[in-house]
Amino acid sequence: MKKYSQQEKLLNFGISFLALGAFPLVWFLSQAILFRELTDLISRNMLVVIGLLVGSSFVFLLFSGMERIIKLAPIERRDSLEAKMFAGPSLFMIFLFLFYPAIRTIYLSFKDRYGTSFVGFENYLWSFNDTEMLVTIRNQIIWLVFVVFFTLFFGLIVGWLTDRLNKGEAFFKSIVFMPMAISAVGASAIFKFIYEYRPPPLTQIGILNGIRVSTGEQCYNNRVIDGVVKGYDDASCNRAVGWLQQRDLSNFQIGQSLESASWLDNILVNLPLNTVLLLVIMIWAYTGFAAVVFSAGIKAIPADIMEAGQIDGASELKIFVSIVIPYIKSTIIVVGTYMVITVLKAFDIVYVTTRGDLETNLLAVKMLDEFSKYRNIGRSSTVAVLIFICVIPIIIGNTYREKENSSL
Amino acid sequence: MKKSIFGLLVILSMIAVACGGSSLEGEEVFITGALVGNDAAGFQENFDSFTEETGIIVSFQGSDNFEQEIQIQMESGDTPDIALFPQPGGVVDAAQRGYLISLEDLGVDMDEYRASFSSYIVGLGEVDGAHYGGAHAFNLKSIVWYQPAEFEARGYSVPATWDEMIALADQIVAEGMNPFCFGMESEGASGWLATDWMEDIMLRTGEGTVTYDKWVSHEIPFNDPVVKNAATLLSQIMHTDGYVVGGTDAIVSTYFGNAQDPMFVKDANGNPGCFMHRQASFITSFWPDEVQSQAGVETTVFPFPAMDDGLPKAALGAGDMFAVYSDSDAVKEVVNYMLSPTFFEAAAQRPDNSRIYGHVDFDSSLYSKDITRTLADAITGALAENAFRFDASDLMPPEVGGGSFWKEMMNLAVNGPGYIDEALDNIEKSWP
Repeated sequence: MKKYSQQEKLLNFGISFLALGAFPLVWFLSQAILFRELTDLISRNMLVVIGLLVGSSFVFLLFSGMERIIKLAPIERRDSLEAKMFAGPSLFMIFLFLFYPAIRTIYLSFKDRYGTSFVGFENYLWSFNDTEMLVTIRNQIIWLVFVVFFTLFFGLIVGWLTDRLNKGEAFFKSIVFMPMAISAVGASAIFKFIYEYRPPPLTQIGILNGIRVSTGEQCYNNRVIDGVVKGYDDASCNRAVGWLQQRDLSNFQIGQSLESASWLDNILVNLPLNTVLLLVIMIWAYTGFAAVVFSAGIKAIPADIMEAGQIDGASELKIFVSIVIPYIKSTIIVVGTYMVITVLKAFDIVYVTTRGDLETNLLAVKMLDEFSKYRNIGRSSTVAVLIFICVIPIIIGNTYREKENSSL
Repeated sequence: MKKSIFGLLVILSMIAVACGGSSLEGEEVFITGALVGNDAAGFQENFDSFTEETGIIVSFQGSDNFEQEIQIQMESGDTPDIALFPQPGGVVDAAQRGYLISLEDLGVDMDEYRASFSSYIVGLGEVDGAHYGGAHAFNLKSIVWYQPAEFEARGYSVPATWDEMIALADQIVAEGMNPFCFGMESEGASGWLATDWMEDIMLRTGEGTVTYDKWVSHEIPFNDPVVKNAATLLSQIMHTDGYVVGGTDAIVSTYFGNAQDPMFVKDANGNPGCFMHRQASFITSFWPDEVQSQAGVETTVFPFPAMDDGLPKAALGAGDMFAVYSDSDAVKEVVNYMLSPTFFEAAAQRPDNSRIYGHVDFDSSLYSKDITRTLADAITGALAENAFRFDASDLMPPEVGGGSFWKEMMNLAVNGPGYIDEALDNIEKSWP
């Protein structure tokens, strides 16, 4: 390696500094100041035109100016300096739009509702003492466990079974994959109709209630049957149920029969039915995605390993457990990681269906509620930080695993 | 040649001075607002006779996006002469930011204004002692919808007091039917119907409007005995067995627009699902088409029953307010006309009109529909006694009025009467 003189080192440092820091800063500040001054002087339409012209030509000018400066550096260093020049603006943007808001959110989470005075850890104490917040955290855990497990489980089954098909694989896979094409809002609207409730004399238009009231004895309003007056509240008939308000199973026969028994029954009777019904939407929407990814992974398993298993007389289940799953382990982890992060960010389903009422809230919706409904900047930031903290270990774990993989 | 042009100019300028100096002929006043379609056409027609008389040309431009547009217009300085806000909140906000001209500066006779719209309404547009909001049209929430034919067939009479309503409800339950329709699911705003019930009861208990105003401004806490009494009475309606058709499930899971549908469906014995539904006048637009055309005839309203004889007949509602952006003689004329009892005559006579003008001296026989007249009489009656109040949850801080109050009403509905204290304590704690 060539030794650099002190002067050359200084020059290198200077140019690196220019490329990484000064150049994007000058670019950003000059434009910010320019357009702030111009907004008062000229009309909006003109501003857009000027923005397009100046914004793009300014970048071009700055880049070509930097090129000239870089030419001053020793020739072997130019490549790395040029890389820095192009990375600079994006790093700057990441800092401006990702790091700065993240740090500011953490800072605000220690402040009061108006974001003016410090309250220490009060907001964090609130998030682990407030009943509504505890229910929200409980829901988030239920979502994480159920959604991630069942998406992977069904995804594996569908991926494996479609792979075994002689024909029609593409057809079945695309049917399972179809929900991915629907936005979460659309999927929620569809399921809202499935869970729909109408007060008694009206025909139930929701599938679940339609099935429920059409089985068993009919409910009548003030009708005398065999000398007995039967109303909608009669115990002998299946009443329509407001599914998204059932916070446990105590309104159902199954719940009533469980109540007195062991701790497992106790958990079952307290199963928040509305939350489970909502997370089913997400499982439905993401199973197809998992199945398609797994199916690709299964296809990549060399045929000779599978054949070796079959020749040794292993059953299908044995092959699945001992060959397929270990082989696509890393795919499962990737999909699992993706699902964990997706669930932590889950927002639209709850927002569209119950809006977090009746103990169905999730952290992401709670964050927005605290900000826009209750106007509490401190608490809203605290919830945001909690979500952030939950995601960090997953990101770190993922990065380590990638490093291990790449070193193999 | 030169002389004749000069002479012509002199004559022309003399004509201009003669015309412009004394009359407002040809002056233009521009009004914007959130009214569209028939309502906008009706509003414009109100000015036809005014233009004939004074020569001031008034043009109205309505937009669905009014509330956003007026914000942009204020920031860019491109405001109309007058803007008709759908809520007094918009007027107060604009006044605080210094965009408006007060009615006092325009020379409006404030005593007369107070007498014709009640001092409460005038006070809604007040900022730092000056008044910026001109009252316009109102809607009514203190009403219970029912079907007179069903009442007559069973010998029920319209309840005038709360006790009569409860007695009627008990009778209906005893006869194996359900008296009330109640549904308050409303996406992000679930629970507001229960807050309306609370407000109506608050207006009729304790010291009536006095307690109500203290409650809104948080001079009495949210868990005060008077408020608790109101919540207990509401819980009586929500939680008494058989009162609400479908019970708790119906209350929290039924979309408010569908809540009254059971009333329009008869079972095998010819009985409707429910007999009474307390909901604002705008609910008619959510009804099935064939019922909608019969609003006011087949399905009509009685006022929310009185609870205390000593209190004036109160009414709960909401309404529009206009605000003035520019100061000229023509605008002054228009503002005075908009606050006069003859304004709105043209619109009231249109067959499609369902808007109610708030002036207490307005001739309600002009309204084209009977139902509008019934509602208008209730509103102006309450205004004349200064007992018309705006929806409390709209006036409370947003974290309460649009947050905890709604949410706790949902929780109260599912948790039952034992939750009343906790619900009120939670709302009290959330007050900023």
